[in-house]
Amino acid sequence: MNQITQEMRNLAKQLLEEEKVQLVMGWEKGSFWYNSTPVFVSKVEDVDKLIWDEFCAANLATYLLDDRFSDEKIALFVKGCDSRAVNRLVQDKQVKRENLYLIGIPCPGMKSAKAAKELGQETKEELPLEDKCIYCTHHNPLVYDILLGEEVALDDIAATAEVSRFEGVEEIEAMTPDERYAYWQDHYSRCIRCYACRNVCPACNCTECCFDLGQTWLERDVTPTGNQVYGIIRAFHVAGRCIECGECERVCPMDIPIMKLNRKIAKDIEELYGPYEAGLDTETPPPLGHYKTEDPDEFM
Amino acid sequence: MKGIKKSQLSNFLQQVSAKYSLYVPAQVDGVTRFQKYSSEREPFLTANTQLSPKELFFPQTEQLYCYETHKQEVKVEELAASSEPQVLFGVRPCDMQAIGVLDDVFLGKGYEDVYYRAKRANTLIIALACSQAEATCFCDSMGVDPAFAPQADLMMYETEDGYLIEALSDQGKDFLQEFSSALEELRSEKPQAPACELKAETDGLVEKLQKMFEHSVWAELSRKCINCGTCTYLCPTCHCFDIESKTRGGKEVKFRCWDSCMYKEYTLMAGGHNPRPTKKERVRQRFLHKLQYMPERYGKWGCVGCGRCIDKCPVNLDITKVIRELREVEA
Repeated sequence: MNQITQEMRNLAKQLLEEEKVQLVMGWEKGSFWYNSTPVFVSKVEDVDKLIWDEFCAANLATYLLDDRFSDEKIALFVKGCDSRAVNRLVQDKQVKRENLYLIGIPCPGMKSAKAAKELGQETKEELPLEDKCIYCTHHNPLVYDILLGEEVALDDIAATAEVSRFEGVEEIEAMTPDERYAYWQDHYSRCIRCYACRNVCPACNCTECCFDLGQTWLERDVTPTGNQVYGIIRAFHVAGRCIECGECERVCPMDIPIMKLNRKIAKDIEELYGPYEAGLDTETPPPLGHYKTEDPDEFM
Repeated sequence: MKGIKKSQLSNFLQQVSAKYSLYVPAQVDGVTRFQKYSSEREPFLTANTQLSPKELFFPQTEQLYCYETHKQEVKVEELAASSEPQVLFGVRPCDMQAIGVLDDVFLGKGYEDVYYRAKRANTLIIALACSQAEATCFCDSMGVDPAFAPQADLMMYETEDGYLIEALSDQGKDFLQEFSSALEELRSEKPQAPACELKAETDGLVEKLQKMFEHSVWAELSRKCINCGTCTYLCPTCHCFDIESKTRGGKEVKFRCWDSCMYKEYTLMAGGHNPRPTKKERVRQRFLHKLQYMPERYGKWGCVGCGRCIDKCPVNLDITKVIRELREVEA
């Protein structure tokens, strides 16, 4: 067992015993060697379920939305992306920071479960990263109450080197409008509208979602056009609030490159309003959430 | 036994597709599902498809009828229920069992769904025995023989050099007759049925679940579910649908589309009441439907062990693990 796993369990035990928290959210081993899945520990005898390995890709912060106005004290393990999700939810006043005990874990990047399944266990050492981890710029948690393990140097590398947040976006930018339409039509025509991308998203924090309101915004028949409308509405709803954790794309059962759309919008926001990454802190107002006189207004 | 040499498979499929609307498992645009055969489309036969064949009988969206109104007059036009004879090639035993479940739901108990029947009654199914089990397969725990599909019209077995084929129904016999020129005598033996590594113990489960509706285990089990519809939409037996309509150029079109018990909207009533307000009630519904209500009503499991939900669930809410936990807790 790795040292972080041991420390996680010790800390969870202590927090529950001392009644500092009522619930600990972490990861446990899933059905196969290549999946680790969210676990909710509220009893001391269950702390040994907790694990930390190269497949803990799931962003746990989303679960804070299950009972967002409770006064329960919750301990939550946060990687870089999880911590940004927490910041966003705190900034949107969906959860209270004082109810959370954040246990930061520097993340070297998670391994691709899809590749693992295809390549087999003997390749465990050479597995590629999850796509979402390839363009990650914040491997170290940005907010925490206690940190387990050593900070990784990856963020400095990301800041200076070629780790491009917007890698692949230029491909769609280079397309003609028709090509781009065909590209998204191809991908979204296989969308089955399971809403996994929405439900896993920590930026999707509306208490009532427009897609759950009968036919008000989008009909329920699954058509290539309707699916694209779904994708576009969602991308614009999370614009400027998307923390680029890539969970939407990771959970999509139809392998739709959803993050390409989200990162295109993030890139546009940078170009229009200057450098911005959502969820780095709880103070900086999101560029689309406030108004500055120097904001570009070429359409006026 | 008669069969088709591997080198002759595309020839055989072409002959069939000349006479029938032929569907084969294929990979198109990054997803494996049953697709209309064409000679450029290599059938995908190395594993089961991501999407189940249920969409051929029960499409995700199906237009039913449309109507126009002029003053006091209403004109109705039927849209669905096309009945082209079709052949499904390469259905796995788990999915064949699932089609049997859908038959019970849509054609049994005294009510026939005309839209389902129109497609189902005109379909001949050639099943393909599995020669290996994937890590997520557990059909042999759910009463399915991975190497035999008794409800199919024809059964096919992959061997080293070809596919042995035998008729199970009268329609299957007629079909073999019709295409006898494309078949030849193969000397190889039927392969052995693979054993699934993944298991689910189901003895006594129905009786136990009958006492567990109010059990606290549902809150625990559902905790990590994100209430997406992946499991229900990939499931070969899930059959819930919603009926809605939309207006297009003065015409009102009625359609039905898949719906999912995982969604909040699924049980939302006029006036705002929701009898399944949280994921606890929704997750309970999904598992009780498969593991208690279906066996009670139709005498068979609502789960056929295909493993699609285990493979694609974003949070690995594994039905075999759920079954294990349901067995372990005190009722």
